[in-house]
Amino acid sequence: MSRITTLLFVLIAAFSLPAAAHHGWSEYDSSKVLKLTGTIAEAGYEHPHGHIKLVTPEKTWIAVLAPPSRMTARGLPPTDLKVGSTVTVVGYANRSKPEEMRAERIIVGSKTVELR
Amino acid sequence: MTDPGAPLAAIERLPLAMAMRHELWLYPAVEIFHIIGFVTLVGSIIVLDMRLLGLSKALPVSLLARHTLPWSMGALLLIVPTGLLMFVAHAGDFISNPAFITKMSLLFCAATNAAVFHAGVFRGVAGWDSGVATPAAAKMHALISLLIWLGVLSCGRLLAYI
Repeated sequence: MSRITTLLFVLIAAFSLPAAAHHGWSEYDSSKVLKLTGTIAEAGYEHPHGHIKLVTPEKTWIAVLAPPSRMTARGLPPTDLKVGSTVTVVGYANRSKPEEMRAERIIVGSKTVELR
Repeated sequence: MTDPGAPLAAIERLPLAMAMRHELWLYPAVEIFHIIGFVTLVGSIIVLDMRLLGLSKALPVSLLARHTLPWSMGALLLIVPTGLLMFVAHAGDFISNPAFITKMSLLFCAATNAAVFHAGVFRGVAGWDSGVATPAAAKMHALISLLIWLGVLSCGRLLAYI
């Protein structure tokens, strides 16, 4: 019985390793904070995460936002992400997808909304 | 989301898929029911697998199986529809995700393993129902089952990260 218990622990540990190694947000480089201001070219108020395509003078970014339910709860309705409007996002660039960033917060007009 | 021209984009345009992405609480609700379903499924399977591996020998295997199987099968009524709903919402992303392909392959292996167990060694359960060691074949099925289901759970979680 103790042999089986040990075996189970080993199995669980073995399967937990890849999970720890891939943990989601580590894909984003949190050592460098980006603050980007631009025009919204496209907005998706969609599950599992909302996003905007943000045109800045340097390049066009895909900013990953939060789930729509959270954005609504934090006071960021879909009308705040209108195409053509100017917003600022603060967050981190994706290490493997150079056009993608994850926004920690978004500034719309005089309103700052935390997304995490 | 997938490119509008991609083969699976039509699935993502289904009203149900659109609702999954746009309704504020539908996606999280579906996720919750999917989780309730799979904890019931995998939980009931693990209990039986542990017994087959030699734990709690006083419990008759046949009795335990009769109690856990309806929960394992019934849980599928929650898991499959909710899984399909999440699939249609991002069909293109899922189909190209290695974790999804692995998960589906493992599910096929799990079903095959269970079917072979029930059609094979389990038919002779009367001979090793309680108090004695289970046959090596039964232990092997149980171990394989545990491994596969841990793999399915891991892949399910990794879908969001790969």
